[in-house]
Amino acid sequence: MENVEMPVGMRDLFPADTRKKAAFKKRIRNVFAAYGYQEIETPLIEFYSTYRDAFASIREEEMYKFVDESGKILALRTDMTLPIARVCASKILDMELPFRFAYCSDVYKVRQSFAGKRNEVTDCGVELIGLDASADCEVLGCALDVLEAVGLPSYTLEIGNSDFFRLACSEAGLDRKDSLFLADLTDRKAMPELREWLSEKITDRKVREFFAMVPLMNGRDALNEAMRYSFSDALRHEVSYLSGLRDTLCEAGYPDHIAFDFGKLPYLDYYTGIIFEGYVEGVGTGILSGGRYDRLLAKFGRDLPACGFGVKLDYLVEVLPDEKRKIRKLYYPKDKTAEALKKARELRQETAVEMIPWDQEDMEVRE
Amino acid sequence: MSISVALTKGRLEAKTVSLLEKCGYGTEALKDKGRALVFPDSKKDVRYFLVKANDCITYVEHGVADVGVVGKDTLMEGGSDYYEMLDLQTGKCCFIVAGLKDSSPLEKSGHIRIGTKYPNVARNFFRQRGMDVEIIKIDGSVELAPVLGLCDGIVDIMETGTTLKENGLVVYAKVADISARVIVNKASFKLKRDEIMAFVNDLERMTGNAEENR
Repeated sequence: MENVEMPVGMRDLFPADTRKKAAFKKRIRNVFAAYGYQEIETPLIEFYSTYRDAFASIREEEMYKFVDESGKILALRTDMTLPIARVCASKILDMELPFRFAYCSDVYKVRQSFAGKRNEVTDCGVELIGLDASADCEVLGCALDVLEAVGLPSYTLEIGNSDFFRLACSEAGLDRKDSLFLADLTDRKAMPELREWLSEKITDRKVREFFAMVPLMNGRDALNEAMRYSFSDALRHEVSYLSGLRDTLCEAGYPDHIAFDFGKLPYLDYYTGIIFEGYVEGVGTGILSGGRYDRLLAKFGRDLPACGFGVKLDYLVEVLPDEKRKIRKLYYPKDKTAEALKKARELRQETAVEMIPWDQEDMEVRE
Repeated sequence: MSISVALTKGRLEAKTVSLLEKCGYGTEALKDKGRALVFPDSKKDVRYFLVKANDCITYVEHGVADVGVVGKDTLMEGGSDYYEMLDLQTGKCCFIVAGLKDSSPLEKSGHIRIGTKYPNVARNFFRQRGMDVEIIKIDGSVELAPVLGLCDGIVDIMETGTTLKENGLVVYAKVADISARVIVNKASFKLKRDEIMAFVNDLERMTGNAEENR
């Protein structure tokens, strides 16, 4: 037989996995629905220029691109936040704010070959559009409930604050280019390079020590460390903002699976305010990620604050145990099809039934 | 919680193991390997396994190993989805550009051809200089390539420079310094922070750069 191949990074999902995936989708969707989010679907294909105009640091090589009939470049969506922002900024102009949209859609990214990563993943998430940072706690609470609903014993929601770092950069007099470079080193916790860069660029000892510590401001002592090394009142204020979020959530009765990482700084050009990521034991990468992005919608001409997060379902499916379904088998003689169909319909009130014709004279139900 | 550490086989292996021993880790199993593939630490809750350099990054990125010890040369060539937490200051060498005597590839104008085991490193170096470079991937004895006329120069690792000299090659530029680094899986760092920081701090104290960095 000829060997039929699939494109790199694509997978077929078999029943054991689709079953798990559907179960998790349902649990997560229930949480979204309980918070009043309503599901939205957008096309799989967007104009490439929509992405390029919205994201300053877009990775062109990570997008699947092709050309439409008029020669314009199209792209498979790489996330759902951008299509939803596009909808909110251009379509629903008379709907009452805020908007609460949920989605469960496939998104696409071209990844390095042979790294064992997926290029097609299902993203389930929410976007809360039209409310400022005062709604941070509600979004974080929803994220905690989602992680709880996933049902793994050990999980952590880690919260960072991009304003904290941005503020520190501006107080240290760093320009945009240096700030972005430093944010990247910090986010990757590239300690040797970071220390070398700091010793060349920053003369003030306190400021240097601060930036050298930011990647390690996480774990149990994160807040204390951040407080101790902060070199201005404005910075200390940003630290207390985060600790206030946790206090509020705990007071409201949310489980305290909250941690902090002040060195979490992906896409400094995109996020404003909180950035967060959810981890579960057994998955080598974050499975939930999100943050506040108050400047995105303005790029489409409608200046609205926004915050949201998404869950990568496929990585979860790999670690979760299969929930085996019970299917009964109904064996029947071919000349009694009508009778067998009737019997099967009755049995299906309780459990799934699969019909199998055989050569014997009787009908029989097997577990 | 126990942590697993992927160590790079070969050039860095002995240096890493002796460093671990100095830091008070129980590395007997690593020194008397036999046919085992996974080696438990006799003093601490750590298990080691030995892998090839490129695989070290892969194991760490996928979270199979929480921590990896690997050369900066391998990190520069590929992968970025990990935390690079420590320079072990051992296994030092550097990436260089070399070519035949009186024929520096850096001074050649127009299209040049560079032979290397590290295509990404080489491409980035010449692109940053705005040079029109074609990379030829070579898997072993890179020194041979310019001698036989396959390319105008090479980008390779140099420890002592003896091999280059023996083949009549001259070093024209340094691309980057290289040493062994400790890398950490991102999710492991969240879930096993205390254990991983203890391991990193132990090694950092012994490499003697803890003070000057603070």
